[in-house]
Amino acid sequence: MTDTETRARRVVAAPDAPRRRRSGGGPRAGTIAAFLTPFFLPFVLFYLVPVGYALWQSFRVVRRTGGQYGTSYTTFGGFHQYAQVLHNTEFWSSIGRIGLFGIVQVPVMLFVALIMALLLDTPLLKVKAFFRISAFMPYAVPGVIAAIMWSYLYSPQLSPVVDLLGHLGLHPDFLGPGAVLWSTANVSTWLWTGYNMLIMFSALQAIPQETYEAAKLDGANNWTIAWRIKVPIIAPSIVLTTVFSIIGTLQLYAEPAVLRQISSNISSTFTPNMLAYAVASGNNYQQAAAISVVIAVITFVLSFGFMRLTSKKAGL
Amino acid sequence: MRNTASRVRLAAAAVTAVASIAALAGCSSSSHSGGSSAASACAPAKGKVTLQYWNTVPGMDKVVALWNKQNPDIQVQTKDISNDQYGTISNSLKAGNAPDLAQVGYDELPNLRTQNAFVDASKCGTATADKSKFVPWTWSQTSFGGTGVFALPQDTGPMALYVRTDLFTKYHLPVPTTWDEYAADAQKLHAADKNISMTFFDPNNAEWFNGLLWQNSAKMYSYSDNKWQVSVDSAKSKQVADYWQKLIDAKEVRTDLANGSTQMYAAYQKDQIASYVGAAWGYSMFRDNLPKQAGKWSIVPMPTWSTNASSGDWGGSTVAFMKGSTHLYESVKFNTWLNTDPQALALENKLGGLYPAATAGLKMPSLSQGVPYYNNEKIFDVFAESSKNIDTDFSWGPTQKTVNLSLQDAMAKAAAGKGTLSGALSTAQAKALSSMKDLAIPAESGK
Repeated sequence: MTDTETRARRVVAAPDAPRRRRSGGGPRAGTIAAFLTPFFLPFVLFYLVPVGYALWQSFRVVRRTGGQYGTSYTTFGGFHQYAQVLHNTEFWSSIGRIGLFGIVQVPVMLFVALIMALLLDTPLLKVKAFFRISAFMPYAVPGVIAAIMWSYLYSPQLSPVVDLLGHLGLHPDFLGPGAVLWSTANVSTWLWTGYNMLIMFSALQAIPQETYEAAKLDGANNWTIAWRIKVPIIAPSIVLTTVFSIIGTLQLYAEPAVLRQISSNISSTFTPNMLAYAVASGNNYQQAAAISVVIAVITFVLSFGFMRLTSKKAGL
Repeated sequence: MRNTASRVRLAAAAVTAVASIAALAGCSSSSHSGGSSAASACAPAKGKVTLQYWNTVPGMDKVVALWNKQNPDIQVQTKDISNDQYGTISNSLKAGNAPDLAQVGYDELPNLRTQNAFVDASKCGTATADKSKFVPWTWSQTSFGGTGVFALPQDTGPMALYVRTDLFTKYHLPVPTTWDEYAADAQKLHAADKNISMTFFDPNNAEWFNGLLWQNSAKMYSYSDNKWQVSVDSAKSKQVADYWQKLIDAKEVRTDLANGSTQMYAAYQKDQIASYVGAAWGYSMFRDNLPKQAGKWSIVPMPTWSTNASSGDWGGSTVAFMKGSTHLYESVKFNTWLNTDPQALALENKLGGLYPAATAGLKMPSLSQGVPYYNNEKIFDVFAESSKNIDTDFSWGPTQKTVNLSLQDAMAKAAAGKGTLSGALSTAQAKALSSMKDLAIPAESGK
């Protein structure tokens, strides 16, 4: 993005650019405002204001006048809510659970997406349009619907898959205490692999054919081209999809919340977002706000940390 | 929790997923709230009045249409909030635009009371006079032990035992009257056929489990010495927990089914389960979802712990007088009609499946007839008797929802073999105390 900006600035500042365009600051500012308002107004109203409100809430505590029911009010409480969150074992176990989920699910999903993108990019695959559409199709399904669909496939009473495996002498318990995290991971993987594949595939499309021709002249086969040329060139898009996936993992809510309806092995505090929701539904809005802020900070640190760690290698 | 099918639950989950974001991002202004407003005085308004009434009952719009036709000066508008009932109510309270009347479950009343959600209608003479019209335990819940009139009872869920008579006959099981007999039947059935269970224990349903605790006269909350006394893990409760723990450990009851889920119906469909511990509103669930089992079901009183008749309640709702209502007089008038008028009650029972909380409602013609699905048995006589035997002293806590979630999480662990149900009660007890501390509600461990 920075590249495009500097280039644009250079173009505008070029000496041969028409002079009147530079001096006409008034109308240009108006034009910029006209273009930016549709973005900034909702951004401020529906992003900055709620974030600010959550921050403000997270520094407040509930107090109450006496009596069995009393009258409640809120007052400034410093870092009380944050201390509560940091001492909350349920919070840390949900973070741990989601960490385990991410460490396994994200690499698996991105590896599969990369393989699919590379396959799509080779001349070997004949039915490209069909393959691309069917790989991308799950992304078009809303997460909640996908989770409902999978919940039927996991459910021992209803699932044709479980039935079929039963005939083969296998009795998997997809919703058991040990398996349910990975059943959830499977839904996420199913949903997002095609989306990530498309991002990588469009990066592959941008590679000029000349590069391949040169490689072939040097004696590279398809395998070498894929691993030595294609993957390094699309590294920035792999980093991008990884960052998206880290953010998505920490925000996991819909899939486990739906599967919770059929599996008692998903607790109400299974993921950090589910914990925040449970606390908010217990009318402890202030602590829910603090939990949300902590989740946001962790997400920020992890995703930007990963970007910094990989930016040099990826050439970002 | 008056659920009918898993589809509804899943759809609700879908909405919850969206609502959660809204709740976290958009919860409105601070919970600072004063006492009762000046507008709550009980005087009839001059001219035409329009009331807002939020509820989750199917067909309620038709009941209200009947009222609107008969009362041109007091028009009522309904809004269906079944997608996110308490989220909608809580948020409206914070935003200061709560309706005049809202449907609130008994177990959520103390919670909303601590948020100053209600207005006391007892200054309206007719409201207090309503006391005699309702089943006693429902009145003590809505008046908070006689400290005011904050809601009128609407429906209840007196519990009973649903029995598959054909399976009981086949395996020569006597119909149980005590929990000991029930356990003996469960063991006998399990010994006869490993694939059949007496019932299922839904680890994700604290509301149901609370009904079982209630039946054993367990007192989960009381108030004395200027503090809430919390006794979620009392000996009475642990007795119930230990009983079910034994059945779970012996694998004589299943733990992999959720109430009202497609999976549950599938298990009943396949004759894998021989009985169901349920509430009055559940009668239509079996009738509507398992039509082929007509004539195979019978409803008998809940097994008891001693020779004394006792029962529990699972679910049911009230219609609460919400803070900020400017038309208390008219609200009382409508609320009283809605929950005591025979015509209204009959319509609510027919359209919404409500089992009335009004004593007159229990004697409705439609409730005194035999029900074809249940072999033309007069099943509502069983529920009416059950309703009479519910402990009137039971009370819910001000952070009930949080406690229920914590209990469910721990119950699920126990069902999975990590911990016990008795331990789950201790976990819930600790959560009750800490959640009340978080909301500055003075509480201590009860005796």
